[in-house]
Amino acid sequence: MRPEIRRIQDVMERESYITDRQVATAVHLAIALGKPLLVEGHPGVGKTEIAKVLARVLDTDLIRLQCYEGLDVTTALYEWNYPKQLLHIRLEERGAASLDQREHELFSDRFLLKRPLLAAISHEGKAPVLLIDEVDRADEEFEAFLLEILSDFQVTIPELGTIRAKERPMVVLTSNRTRELSEALRRRCLYLWIDYPTLEKELRIVRTKVPGLAEQLARDVATFMQSLRQAGLSRTPGVAEALDWAAALSALGAEQLDVAVVRETLGCIVKDEDDLRTMEQMLDEGRLAAMLSLS
Amino acid sequence: MTRSGLVAHCVNFCRVLRTRGVPVTPAETLLAARTLSVVDIGDREDIRLGLRTVLVLQRDQYPVFDAVFDEMWGGGSLDGHSARSRTTQPPPNQQRARVTLETWMRGEDPTREQRVAVRQASDREATGRRDFATFDNEQSAAFERLARRIARRLALRRSRRWKPSRRGARMDLRRTMHGSLRTGGEVVALEWRRRKIRRTRLVAICDVSGSMELYAKFLLQFLHALQNTFARIETFVFSTRLTRTTALLKHARWEQALSGVARAVTDWSGGTRIGTSLACFVEHWIDLVDRRTVVIVLSDGWDTGDPEVLGAAMEQLHLHAGRVIWLNPLMASPDYAPETRGMQAALPHVDLLAPAHSVESLEKLVRHLAI
Repeated sequence: MRPEIRRIQDVMERESYITDRQVATAVHLAIALGKPLLVEGHPGVGKTEIAKVLARVLDTDLIRLQCYEGLDVTTALYEWNYPKQLLHIRLEERGAASLDQREHELFSDRFLLKRPLLAAISHEGKAPVLLIDEVDRADEEFEAFLLEILSDFQVTIPELGTIRAKERPMVVLTSNRTRELSEALRRRCLYLWIDYPTLEKELRIVRTKVPGLAEQLARDVATFMQSLRQAGLSRTPGVAEALDWAAALSALGAEQLDVAVVRETLGCIVKDEDDLRTMEQMLDEGRLAAMLSLS
Repeated sequence: MTRSGLVAHCVNFCRVLRTRGVPVTPAETLLAARTLSVVDIGDREDIRLGLRTVLVLQRDQYPVFDAVFDEMWGGGSLDGHSARSRTTQPPPNQQRARVTLETWMRGEDPTREQRVAVRQASDREATGRRDFATFDNEQSAAFERLARRIARRLALRRSRRWKPSRRGARMDLRRTMHGSLRTGGEVVALEWRRRKIRRTRLVAICDVSGSMELYAKFLLQFLHALQNTFARIETFVFSTRLTRTTALLKHARWEQALSGVARAVTDWSGGTRIGTSLACFVEHWIDLVDRRTVVIVLSDGWDTGDPEVLGAAMEQLHLHAGRVIWLNPLMASPDYAPETRGMQAALPHVDLLAPAHSVESLEKLVRHLAI
């Protein structure tokens, strides 16, 4: 294994992000080749976490752009601070400045609201990590705009001129696959699919993140989650749910998993009414034991 | 293996991936070669994970990638594998079948659940409801209502984007401020903005061959109603060859429209050549289709032609269209399964397969039409 990859893996684990080789390799390549990294996977498998940990590993700032339907340039890139501009005009009304001077002043850096993308491009000092979260939620037009940004890392503001990134930010995009991303965007990025963790990995995650939990209970939680993901629920619980649940069990001081405890804490892992019914039924049928005996 | 040998092998590997359906571009091949210089080339797993990160575009391609990697990079040491790789390419037809088969078997197709759901809905309603096959003119009013609903739905679909407008929902502060500069900082004219309208277009391609005899007339009546309420629709019919009916159906009166279509379509109720008809559409009319277009194919999927032609045409359609919907009147029957060779070839490229045997079933369609 390349030493850099091992180092990334080590540092990530030190930041208590339990990872595997695949993730570490992808992160290493994104840094070494200077390409954006597109991370896909089911909800709750730790996609967003990669960018956060990466920022800590590189010891730099994290700038986050949360995408949603209808996200547009004024919320993603920049906007003029209109109220402040208006105020300024009023205050300067009696001033001797010419129209040109006033306009120049009005559309200067002071009145510019930098949204995440511009903030990443105009960032001073060490290149930041730019996290573009849930890019599948933004609409296609925005994706096209994003492509443009990702290829040049420069922005032209009519009133100010062109701003170019001194150092290219390290970009991480995440997607839950609610919409197929365009091929052009995919081609621009390195690709990483994060699957649900294996039993061992999940156990390690639970142990690391919920240290107070008894060993046997941690094992039971991990095993239970593994078989639960096979149960065909409509919302398959991710690692985030496993951790919530483990934390709840730890807070309740539970010592082992039994039907009563599972029933009590079901809300941590199952978040859909139909699934809740399915689970209740499974517990009624006494299938808990079977779900715990996977290993 | 020498460094240059390794790069040559990597280039060859990219070529084989391409023949197996992982579309690797020259730029990515270069990137793959660069990757080899930043991973440990003595470690097979490093190479595998590295190349996979660089060459694969989405998750579906992981299994194919891993299979080809195993074939070409062997286990353990890397020596002597480039010679073997030349013999690992199966003939083209087989590859194609294999890729399709793999997509099919994995069954993670996101539209599949949707298909099943729609299908179950149709099963329930099939009993006790009237089929198109058994009804007469009385329903034309129902069609017109339905067409108006669809038209309204598509026309009022508002985009999330804003555009300047004389009067509008919200003030456009940016342009207002800019305008005020002309008047010495005093706001004289307010500028407004409003939501853009998203323009969805429809293209309907209707099967009027012998096997569709019972349904063709009624589906056409539906298309006629649509054609006369909704401006952005193009209609086509086919049996053994394709005819554009947009202008013909634009007659206000249904009887006139029908006789116009009947005159123009010479192979009415003939055999079915879905594949060649759709291929003809792709060849001549594909410019009508863009990402804002919903393509609706109305057919029972009984194709007497080569299913590969149909598959290829559907793939093209799917590539260009925003959504591809296949309406199949046979789905009214509870034990219908899309098992004809034609349907099998088309299915991987269909976003939604839905029944179309009654007005009720068409009404269910309304919400799938807007993109």
